[in-house]
Amino acid sequence: MDRQQEFVLRTLEERDIRFVRLWFTDVIGTLKSVAIAPAELEGAFGEGIGFDGSAIEGLSRVSESDMLLKPEPSTFQVLPWRTSDEHQGTARIFCDILTPDGQPARSDPRHVLKRALDRAAQHGYTFYTHPEIEFYLFKGPLQRGAVPEPVDYVGYFDNHPGGTTTDFRREAISVLESMGISVEFSHHEGGPGQNEIDLRYADALTTADNIMTFRTVLKEVAGEQGLYASFMPKPLAGEPGSGMHTHLSLFDGDANAFWEAGAEYQLSRTGRQFIAGILRHAAEITAVTNQFVNSYKRLWSGGEAPSYICWGHNNRSALVRIPMYKPSKGQSVRIEYRALDSAANPYLAFALLLTAGLKGIEEGYDLPDGAEDDVWSLTDAERRAMGIEPLPQSLEHAVGIMERSELVAEALGEGVFDFFLRNKRQEWSDYRAQVTPFELQRYLPLL
Amino acid sequence: MSPGPAAGRRASAAAQLVRAGSTDPERALRLLRDPALAGVVRGDGEHEFTDATAGLVRALGRTADPDQALLGLVRWAESLTAGLDRDADPAQAQAAAVALDLLRAGDVAQVVGTRARLLAVLGGSLALADHLVRHPRHWTVLAAAVPPDPGELRAELLAAVGADPADPVPVATTGRGGLPPADALRVAYRRRLVGLAGRDLAAADPTTLLHVTSAELADLAAAALEAALAVARSELPGHGPGSWRSCRLAVIGMGKTGGRELNYLSDVDVVYVAEPADGADEADAIAAATRLAAGLQRVCSTPTAEGSLWEVDAALRPEGKAGPLVRTLASHVEYYRRWAKTWEFQALLKARPVAGDAALGRSYVQAIAPMVWSASERERFVADVQGMRRRVESLIPSREADRQLKLGVGGLRDVEFSIQLLQMVHGRSDERLRHSANTLEALDGLAAYGYVGRHDAGELDHDYRLLRSLEHRIQVQRLRRTHVLPTGEADLRRLGRSLGLRGDPVAALEEVWRGTRRDVRRLHEKLFYRPLLTAVSQLSAADARIDAQLSPAAARERLAALGYRDPAGALRHLASLTSGVSRRASIQRTLLPVMLGWFADGADPDAGLLAFRQVSEALAGTQWFLTMLRDAGAAAERLAYVLSAARLPVELLRRSPEAVAVFADDERLAPYDVAEVMADAEAAARRRDDVASAVMAARGVRRRELFRTVVADLVGVRDLAGVGRALADADQALLEVGLAASAREVERRRGAALPTRVLVVGMGRLGGQESGYGSDADVLLVHDPLPGADETQAQQAATEVVAELRRQLSAAGPEPGLEVDADLRPEGRNGPLVRSLAGYRAYYERWAQPWEAQALLRARPVAGDADLGEAFLHLVDPLRWPERGLSEADVREVRRIKARVEAERLPRGADPQRHLKLGRGGTSDVEWTVQLLQLQHAGEHEGLRTTSTPAALTAAVRAGLLAPDDAEVLLQAWDLASRARNAVTLWRGKPGDSLPTQVRDLDGVARLFGFEPGSSQEFEELYLRTTRRCRAVVERVFYGR
Repeated sequence: MDRQQEFVLRTLEERDIRFVRLWFTDVIGTLKSVAIAPAELEGAFGEGIGFDGSAIEGLSRVSESDMLLKPEPSTFQVLPWRTSDEHQGTARIFCDILTPDGQPARSDPRHVLKRALDRAAQHGYTFYTHPEIEFYLFKGPLQRGAVPEPVDYVGYFDNHPGGTTTDFRREAISVLESMGISVEFSHHEGGPGQNEIDLRYADALTTADNIMTFRTVLKEVAGEQGLYASFMPKPLAGEPGSGMHTHLSLFDGDANAFWEAGAEYQLSRTGRQFIAGILRHAAEITAVTNQFVNSYKRLWSGGEAPSYICWGHNNRSALVRIPMYKPSKGQSVRIEYRALDSAANPYLAFALLLTAGLKGIEEGYDLPDGAEDDVWSLTDAERRAMGIEPLPQSLEHAVGIMERSELVAEALGEGVFDFFLRNKRQEWSDYRAQVTPFELQRYLPLL
Repeated sequence: MSPGPAAGRRASAAAQLVRAGSTDPERALRLLRDPALAGVVRGDGEHEFTDATAGLVRALGRTADPDQALLGLVRWAESLTAGLDRDADPAQAQAAAVALDLLRAGDVAQVVGTRARLLAVLGGSLALADHLVRHPRHWTVLAAAVPPDPGELRAELLAAVGADPADPVPVATTGRGGLPPADALRVAYRRRLVGLAGRDLAAADPTTLLHVTSAELADLAAAALEAALAVARSELPGHGPGSWRSCRLAVIGMGKTGGRELNYLSDVDVVYVAEPADGADEADAIAAATRLAAGLQRVCSTPTAEGSLWEVDAALRPEGKAGPLVRTLASHVEYYRRWAKTWEFQALLKARPVAGDAALGRSYVQAIAPMVWSASERERFVADVQGMRRRVESLIPSREADRQLKLGVGGLRDVEFSIQLLQMVHGRSDERLRHSANTLEALDGLAAYGYVGRHDAGELDHDYRLLRSLEHRIQVQRLRRTHVLPTGEADLRRLGRSLGLRGDPVAALEEVWRGTRRDVRRLHEKLFYRPLLTAVSQLSAADARIDAQLSPAAARERLAALGYRDPAGALRHLASLTSGVSRRASIQRTLLPVMLGWFADGADPDAGLLAFRQVSEALAGTQWFLTMLRDAGAAAERLAYVLSAARLPVELLRRSPEAVAVFADDERLAPYDVAEVMADAEAAARRRDDVASAVMAARGVRRRELFRTVVADLVGVRDLAGVGRALADADQALLEVGLAASAREVERRRGAALPTRVLVVGMGRLGGQESGYGSDADVLLVHDPLPGADETQAQQAATEVVAELRRQLSAAGPEPGLEVDADLRPEGRNGPLVRSLAGYRAYYERWAQPWEAQALLRARPVAGDADLGEAFLHLVDPLRWPERGLSEADVREVRRIKARVEAERLPRGADPQRHLKLGRGGTSDVEWTVQLLQLQHAGEHEGLRTTSTPAALTAAVRAGLLAPDDAEVLLQAWDLASRARNAVTLWRGKPGDSLPTQVRDLDGVARLFGFEPGSSQEFEELYLRTTRRCRAVVERVFYGR
């Protein structure tokens, strides 16, 4: 660590950095930032920097508002869009949140994920994730309340020469790569103005940090081009929603714990148990993996949305998919969780996915049979007969299931668990108080 | 066979062997007759020894294990002569003859020392005996009675690897005897180890030689490092970039190597510092130096045909194992300037150049040393030191706790840590303490300059030497790294004998071990605390053993390092407690050093010390207080713990210090029967004429009970139920005596006997005998006019009596009062305070609400007329245990009221999750759930007719009304929340209903639950989880959702 700290301080001098943004994330997944002068960073490495935690949602109780931010030196990056030859440089660094007596705060989402990773480490596992992040590009600037206008109307994988989105993706990817975030793949998605960028797989904590950075970078780059990038799960009725299909794998040392030569789909017993854990607890964790009222409009919009709790080999309607196996790549066996959306808090979502999967391994859950058909094309009765349950239908439904989950309470910690439930119940109640255009259109003429 | 003269003589040969300590003389005789010793053992070796042989046997008798020594001797002699047969070299034959002459020589002065050392090695170390068998001619090294100097060792080990000792940068060539250099190094190292062990093991008292032995071990290790470095150089190119010439490398000894106090077998701790040679590129040089360092470690620790030396451990370097193996001096300095943690500076205390470039090593130490001495000014120093102390004391595998030499309280590491701590704390202002990194020398320095008493330092020096000698003797037997006293009889016997213990060496060893441990456990008292007194008081001749001379500034530094937040204040209290020539001051001078340590372990050391001072001053006129602390086993420790753990006992003691008498023994903490308390309260009241002082006296009895309960609770001899019962009993006794006195007062005023009988019915926690420290007394007040009395008169008189009772119980005064809360009465605050039994009957018949029946579930007559109590219960039993249970409407009403209470009763701003009584899953949730079941089913199930919450839960399970798992969840939450309420009140010194939000308060409360310091979040998590689960059961069982 300490060489890292040294490296950071040296870079500050060499790159003439004038501001360092301390980044952390609140329980809902909103990025928070405090700027300090470089001179203060050294002290922050040692003792942490005090801040008023009561202002941050879910972070601390009012009477105990003094919290500490402790920068994690390995996450240091210069922010390219705020640094140019004539401008003073700015850098960012992710922080852990500590209580006043220097213990990791249990309400820090980063710490929640670290606790889950520790649990995996006790089994000898490291947890890797690889997200495919979908988002929409709209013409800027954002007009509150209005239906946004997509930048283009081309379709899936379409190459649109000279198109705005191509330029945009090129610029965004170059900024991401300059910040050390490797991009695996990018293309135009099904919806108008919808794009997908896949991040290279990395350990879950790094990936979560990268997703937070990714969202910021995309919004910054879009803004510079007069566009607006949105990670809202379902911004346009009638068009596909933005998901964050995430590939998950466990490694035991250098070996992929999901891989077993000769097994069905080359999927090891551990891998099957992990999937079983995720499936059994999928409904409990949905309030976190799909945390907004709007998330359920994506989940229940039909098409390829993974609305039913089942798994399948290369079945694009299943909640958990085992991607096509490439015989040359034993290490690449992984599973894809398809419910996650791009607006989730990645720290909490990864922590819960991992905990659910580990639970399957610890308790030796049996994996039910895989689904071969397009689950959407089955009737309700058929699905019931096959034992395929639906995911929660609404945020309210999801919260109701989550609040009875010991698994989620334990993984999040009591404080985050309780805050999250209260926050989401409030969101639901605010939503329910709305009178929507749907109602006005349908009822006003009639009633 | 008949016993003849031959058998007698034979017995005498065997007897000589037994006397020498052989446990198997038959076998010993056989060994003595072994052909290998032919010509050595004279006489027939069967019946009778010659004088020379007898001398040999006596010499064997001086070894730790004569049988082992004799067997080793035979093997060695055999090996010596076997070699002889093979090559028939006259020079070797001559040498062997000389060796064997040694054994033949009887007690000839010139060789007796060598022989003693040879036998000592053979008898004390199987591993070194094996070495002598492999290399029989190495016995010659045992001729030297004095240790070689470090230079000689270095030269010899360098020569063994074919390097030139005169070269300042020696490079290995071929090992001695044509062996690979690493093998030759191992052989030469062990040869010297044989010599060293011979001197050590042959010493009559190993403790006197300990410092010499451990210094020689460190020197030998340093020489081996130097030779290993020479080997590592030989593995690198000699010229060009990446050659060993491109860098200067110094090896810095740390830990016991640095302190020149090494064990026979432990990791050798080092760090490396390197600089480019003139003109060399820095990166190349560091790369070369890194290869040298890695090579050095490999040469030492990789097993070869000759085994291995020891692990070279470089983990104390900057950044530990994650950091680069080798750094430049500037990089070291930079790291320590910026990043180092307190423990790293403590480790640096022992840094000493041991091999490689001597000038560079010196520069390193010169650059680093000043930082070590300023480390104690660092912001987190105190917290770090506390943490380090806890780790040192707690690192102990419990399986071996009884036999650990190194870990745990009073273990070797604790001694070393404590001495280093004092060096760091005081070395900053007193440079004289900086001169040695060696534990014993540092202790000597601390004593010499008045930081530790000379007498105490002397004792500690002796104990430390003894423990280390034991450790050496255990390790040398098999050259294994172990710090545990063995349990095998033979091992213990050998160990005991090696310390010079004869007779029954096993028993004697156990005794020495126990005594030393007992002594060393008082280490902190001797080192840390006793000298503090010298800073604040003039000591009389009687206290001469505290001959340290600590300045007030030094004393403050020390108190701060030990965890006192206000050292100046603490020092003032100390001064006040110990100055003067009174007997009191003198006893306190003996007591305080150890009590200061106990306070320091508490949650609030400063408060503990202050409270002790207050009590002590208040009791200055008494004899018993100090006598109790001095003589009564655990009294002083318990007092120190209680005073520094929580505020409530301190508050209570402030009012009446003499209550500390309860610390004298467990008996005084045992719960009293309610009748006993009552009798005490009555006796106290009877001695007073007027009602006010009578009731005040009874309040005093209640306060005494409260304090006894607090102490019993804190020291862990009373559980939650016991606490609840004791507190309820104390309230009950006060109510009884107060009621009687009030009645008498009203009779006096009216000049006539009361026209009515009065009854106090306990409700709520008082009724259930589940009181907490902050509980009010919930009551109903009942009267019953005497036959023929005027009802109005009777009502008036009863009203006067209960008004008087309430006034007397809550009036201001020296003893804590008791709030009497009658809000549960019919019509609540709008109803009359006291009602006649007939009035209750009329009310309950007409108006009784479900909630009133519910409140009556815990009704229990606690004071006043017993017959009236019976009559009252007769009245309410059908109400609270309705035969047919509750109607749907009633159940709904109970639920509705509960929901309303949840919404309204919680104080403004209170966090519902943290409110222990009314919050989510708190005590109230559980009690309502239980009580609803009671209302519904007590008519049917007799077991439910109880005022106790846990008993009702158990009964509900038995009656099949509640799933056992649900009952368990409810009980756990009720128990935890009730105990937390008590703990919060104990910690704050005043009633509290919420889990604290301030870390320090939460930490204090968590510690009362036995959590480690700094684990408040775990405690909080436990509470929130337990109550969340409880609430889920309540939702289901109580609300039916």
